[in-house]
Amino acid sequence: MPDRSTTRRSFFGLSAGAAFLCTIGGQEVRLDDPNAADRADALAAQVPRPPGAAPQDALAFPTPEPQPGGRKREYWVQARTRGWDVAPTGRDDWHGRPIPGKRNFRALVYQLMKPGFAAPNGPPLMPGPTLYAEVGDTLVVHFRNAATTLGQALTMHPHGVRYTPDYDGVYLGQHTRVGGFIAPGEEFTYTWEATPDSVGVWPYHDHGPNHTLNTFRGAFGAIVIRERGAEPPDVEQVLFLHQLLPPFTGLPRAFQAINGCTAAGNTPTIQTRVGQDVALHVIGMDNDFHDFHIHGHRWKDAAGAFVDTPTVGPNESITARFVEDNPGRWLYHCHVFSHQDAGMAGWYMASP
Amino acid sequence: MRFRTAAVAALAAGLLIPAGALAQAPSYPEPADPGKVTPRPSGKGKTRTVCKKGCKFKTIQSAVNKSKAGDTVKVKRGTYREAVAIRGAKKSYLKILGNPSAPAKVVLDGRDKKQNGFLVDGADEVTIRGFKARNYSANGFFFVNVVGYTAQDLIAAKTGVYGIYAFNSKGGTMRDSEAYYTSDAGFYIGQTPAQVKPIRSIVTNIESWGNPLGWSGTNMRYVTITTSRFYNNAVGLAPNAMDSEKFPPAEDNVIRENEIFWNNFNFHEGAPFKIPTEGNAVLFPVGTGVLLFGGRRNVVEDNEIFGNYAVGVAALEAFLLEKNPQARALEGNIVRDNRFGLGGQDLNGRELAYDGNGSGNCFGSNTGVSVTIPADRSTLAPCPFTGANTFNPGVQGEMIGLAGKAGVAKWIRHPHAPKQGFQPLELFTP
Repeated sequence: MPDRSTTRRSFFGLSAGAAFLCTIGGQEVRLDDPNAADRADALAAQVPRPPGAAPQDALAFPTPEPQPGGRKREYWVQARTRGWDVAPTGRDDWHGRPIPGKRNFRALVYQLMKPGFAAPNGPPLMPGPTLYAEVGDTLVVHFRNAATTLGQALTMHPHGVRYTPDYDGVYLGQHTRVGGFIAPGEEFTYTWEATPDSVGVWPYHDHGPNHTLNTFRGAFGAIVIRERGAEPPDVEQVLFLHQLLPPFTGLPRAFQAINGCTAAGNTPTIQTRVGQDVALHVIGMDNDFHDFHIHGHRWKDAAGAFVDTPTVGPNESITARFVEDNPGRWLYHCHVFSHQDAGMAGWYMASP
Repeated sequence: MRFRTAAVAALAAGLLIPAGALAQAPSYPEPADPGKVTPRPSGKGKTRTVCKKGCKFKTIQSAVNKSKAGDTVKVKRGTYREAVAIRGAKKSYLKILGNPSAPAKVVLDGRDKKQNGFLVDGADEVTIRGFKARNYSANGFFFVNVVGYTAQDLIAAKTGVYGIYAFNSKGGTMRDSEAYYTSDAGFYIGQTPAQVKPIRSIVTNIESWGNPLGWSGTNMRYVTITTSRFYNNAVGLAPNAMDSEKFPPAEDNVIRENEIFWNNFNFHEGAPFKIPTEGNAVLFPVGTGVLLFGGRRNVVEDNEIFGNYAVGVAALEAFLLEKNPQARALEGNIVRDNRFGLGGQDLNGRELAYDGNGSGNCFGSNTGVSVTIPADRSTLAPCPFTGANTFNPGVQGEMIGLAGKAGVAKWIRHPHAPKQGFQPLELFTP
């Protein structure tokens, strides 16, 4: 009689891609066991503040202003830790079964705050707040590292928008610019430009000294840039496809996740009505390639071809946009088979 | 311009001793760069208990002296006639706990002889909770040269300068506290060093009343003041720029979701403290909710502002700056989404006043705005706004006319709406 639990753990261990290497403060770290996150955090906490821009990087850059007719879109965002349940209902509603074992871990997430960080302006979630702008605007993001218990520098690094090196939000060792090392308790204001080639949907994520661990435990969100005056869709949902792996969560098994949760009923349930303009923005946020499928629906890709299962790689994004015309309960999921059955799936509910 | 020059000269003549100079009297610690935060000590630390009888420690100071970084001092009920000093990095992360649910039961009384109830100098991230400090010649609770502090569940009463005060420090928390009958300001954060990646100070759920200033903020930076009440002061809040302290002007502060009302306390006619007869206090425009006296990128938004007889929110060039003239101008300040006059039930004398000084200042989406200086609203650029504002020296002169004792004659009075648990304070009667 085979040991089924051992077999399952082995399977999820394999799907986790076991040996995971990252570099923190110049040291290579092997993230391959449940204590790996603690080791990585300890190393990250020792990374010294960079001395300032190196001579070859000492160019000065002005802070951009909005283009004529554009405006500043201000956001106050903090990074913080929180306890996170990957399956709040405790069940997989698609397969009609309970989700066994430990499900809670300490996540690192971004949270929308009121101006001045006066109070939360929404819950701390995975993904973090979606940032919106139109072409010609600037995104002015006041970021605070409120994850003081981690004791390490964090950042916000955007994709898609235009930024000078100061607002890149990336740790580059001795070449680090001002926005690439925000120590615990500190605040920094990033200014990013929504240029004509920024139109689309993009991720942002931590890119500080410990960025791999931090993005794998929740420090990511989305940016949506529209054409000036473009009508937003009636229904808009950002979906991050990713795995929550034991070395990053400390949990005994990997979870296939969408927006930090696993299995239909825990992942976002999307509600639409026939005739509504629907946009589902799908972003890959781990080491794997995924694809995205909604039963009963097709849409055009950027090249104008009809698709129903486009691929998304790490930090790549696609948008499924269509007018709802097919009511019913539908499943959406990553169509990598080992992902979908293990929880990378959710409900799409279209009302007549 | 002649009028303006004359007015400035007249006001400057009143400044025999600036209020900020009071804060730096000889026995105050010299401001020093707070630098980086002291690393948090490992372990839980030791706890020492202070009480009047039966404890090893009879004074708070004796327990503090024995404490190391990260230790805790618990203080039992009683009245302690001492001035506690917590100095240096070796006292960082100290927790001094009285009675957070009933601070008035653990009293420090300076009997007008001692200077500060608690002085924290150069010790980072010290927490003081659950005390009342009264009758100190300077301040109730004073943090200086520190990176981070927590002042919570505190009451400061009848202090000679400020109630709860943080100076030359980076970051910190003031919350769930009250200050009244101080000779200058109930609460004060000042001379914040400029920081590229600032550590913000958060002030929440405080009550300040019965003071010349509910909140003073000379050269304050990165402070968020929220969900608090400022009432029955001469002026509710006054982020300001002065030469008397380093680093002018006030910058990057956010004042939001507060109640700012009935700030018409004419302390010139009587007060439960020594009435200032010189210094800036004699110039405060009694009857003002919020005064931005210079400053950059300050935001006043989403506040309830009512029953202030001079003006709800005023923005005025920091014309008293002589040594730092580059910091006089108002730049990039935003006054928006405030609700004035309690839906018509408790009007301000005027809602907005702005001399048009500086650039990028705007006033947007405020409700209940009826009477303004100037009346034609020509200086009140709507938000968003970039570029130079429309300066009007005549308007500045009119605003200066609201200053000090004489300004009271220019109040526009309205009846107050009743507010349960509160009584208006205009003239103090013992």
